[in-house]
Amino acid sequence: MHQFYWVYDLPIETFAIMMIAVFVGFYWAGLGLLRPILRQFVKNTRGANDIVGYVLSCFCVFYGLLLGLIAVTAYQNASDTSSNVTREAAALSALYEDVSRYPDPYGQNLRWILRDYTRYTIKYAWPLQRQGIVPVDGTIRVQAFQEKLLDFQPTTPAQEILHAESLRQFDTFLEHRRMRLFSVNTAIPPVMWYVVILGAVINIAMVWLFDMKFLTHLLLGGLLSAYLGTMIFLIAAMDHPFRGEVSVTPEPFEALYTHMVEE
Amino acid sequence: MGQLTVAQRTRGVSRRDFGRHAGAAATLAAAQAFAPFMFVGCRPTRLPAGRQPIRVGLLHSQTGTMAISETSLRDVELFAFEQINASGGLLGRQIEVWGPDPKSRTDLYPKRARELLDWGAAALFGCWTSSSRKAVVPVVEERDRLLFYPVQYEGNESSAHVVYGGLVPNQQILPVIDWFSSAAGGGRKKIFLLGSDYIFPRTANFVAKKYMAAQGMRPAGEMYLPLGHRDFGPLVNLIQASGAECVLSTINGDSNIGLFQALAAARIDPEKLPVLSTSIAEDELRNLLPEQVSGHLAASCYFQSLPTEANRRWVEDFRHEFGHDRVTSDPLEPQWGLVHLWRSAVERAGSLDTEAVRAAMRDGLEFAGPGGLVRLDPKTQHCSRYFRLGRIRTDRQFDIVYQSDAPIDPDPYPQFAFPGWSCDWTQGGITRGPEVPIDGDI
Repeated sequence: MHQFYWVYDLPIETFAIMMIAVFVGFYWAGLGLLRPILRQFVKNTRGANDIVGYVLSCFCVFYGLLLGLIAVTAYQNASDTSSNVTREAAALSALYEDVSRYPDPYGQNLRWILRDYTRYTIKYAWPLQRQGIVPVDGTIRVQAFQEKLLDFQPTTPAQEILHAESLRQFDTFLEHRRMRLFSVNTAIPPVMWYVVILGAVINIAMVWLFDMKFLTHLLLGGLLSAYLGTMIFLIAAMDHPFRGEVSVTPEPFEALYTHMVEE
Repeated sequence: MGQLTVAQRTRGVSRRDFGRHAGAAATLAAAQAFAPFMFVGCRPTRLPAGRQPIRVGLLHSQTGTMAISETSLRDVELFAFEQINASGGLLGRQIEVWGPDPKSRTDLYPKRARELLDWGAAALFGCWTSSSRKAVVPVVEERDRLLFYPVQYEGNESSAHVVYGGLVPNQQILPVIDWFSSAAGGGRKKIFLLGSDYIFPRTANFVAKKYMAAQGMRPAGEMYLPLGHRDFGPLVNLIQASGAECVLSTINGDSNIGLFQALAAARIDPEKLPVLSTSIAEDELRNLLPEQVSGHLAASCYFQSLPTEANRRWVEDFRHEFGHDRVTSDPLEPQWGLVHLWRSAVERAGSLDTEAVRAAMRDGLEFAGPGGLVRLDPKTQHCSRYFRLGRIRTDRQFDIVYQSDAPIDPDPYPQFAFPGWSCDWTQGGITRGPEVPIDGDI
């Protein structure tokens, strides 16, 4: 499906209009070109419109369910990714506060590395994620932090407690970071897209079979196709949580970084 | 009248009607399908070759002992490239940077340099220690790329594939000796040479001894200690016993903690026996206790406390971007200048080709940086820079007590130390003289 990723570079309005236009255009083109041929199959059947209508209704139930479930899945993926990004930023913030209590220069060095990680995530990792590339250089920052954290030798019971808490918080942060990286390529599987597209084509083909005035046919079928295009646009826009305008933003990291540099 | 059946109505559609409907539908469909592309355009995901970003490699350790120093250098490079990108890029293209981690291991520097060049880096910015630089030089020479090296170093080297931004001994060590000997420096002529045991301190002190000999002076003593050495108590006694009036220290890294602890423990008064360090800047001062180190001296081309408008703005911008507790220091300012000199050279050359960039540099380049005017010397590919001497304050900053009147021209091969050696990359490169044993007699 990667050959279609360019749609995520389009402004969201253009993407939506394009999807609707493709579906309506396909329907209208088919109506003009294929309708006379398809109607040959039903031309001698009494009550053909009713039959097509029954079949279409039945089909729409299944297809609607499929679209609904896929839309929910896409939304859930985006929502989970967004929650995880927020959790990672929260864990990072807590870790930053913990290491701020270390004696300097340990505390200062650790804070600088976490700041560096946050800045890297916003300015360098996010644009890569938006291209579906898993950013790897954050790992160097994490290793640098871990190295410095483990260098610290607590000398008082209070420092021992603080150090233990920092290590625990560091593990939490690592867990969320890993989940964010895993979700970079989270997407609806291609096979589901094939079924969705096939369903849309069948849906439109059935509308071609109706017998009615040409302009009425253009209008009613066009409206149905436009809504189909809108539904599929919605799913596509929510798919790939880091791509396109409807995507997870680095806002929690940006808020944290502003706090870090202004403290 | 009853309803028409489907069959009757189908029969009623003439070929002409069918053609008219089909034409109308096809036109509408085409208009719908292509309108968004016609009116808003769609961006191709691949940029044309001429618009591909320019790739630049950053070669700095982000883990290991050098990490704290080198990550600050990397930050200032990122900041410089981000600003260039924000101002429209270079040659109309954005700059893409990548900085893999050599982990403070000399053996990994050439490996990472090769990775960066394989990735397509047009130039490399980086290295800190002389050993890492010397390990990377053969790689950039083999691959015909440029390395921009910002740190003060020992001289006695020149490569057509390296642009050196830091001070060499004639810009740092010799002015220190002159200043100590002057009335402003207390007329101190008994200088104790103290250094870590590696190439920079040994070569720098070799040059210092040669220069002192030419002035009719002799060092009060000379001592080298392994990197990481902490026990300086006996050494401080030795310095005091030598009758030294001042110490020229090329001690590097964490050893400075032990040195200043021992000096404080021996109640050495910086007014009476000042220690002048060549390797202590604002970043290093974070690891030292102010009460132990204040009053001692450092030699550099740049201090954060430099009271100029250009510096104030630069420090403010850097801190705004990276945090208000961040500091700027000697190698950061030269590296900032090197990035901008490279940018000027590429713009002048109109190309990333190494020979074209080098040719542009040979016409002479200047950059008004936060530390003052920097001139790239086309003969040596080193920079003319100001020499500054600072006294350490209790707030881990410096009071600037001396500054050269003008930028000092670089001389990586001072003739009194390396007779017969010279370099002129505008005319043939290095002229070799007799081999000079660094550890030999003065």
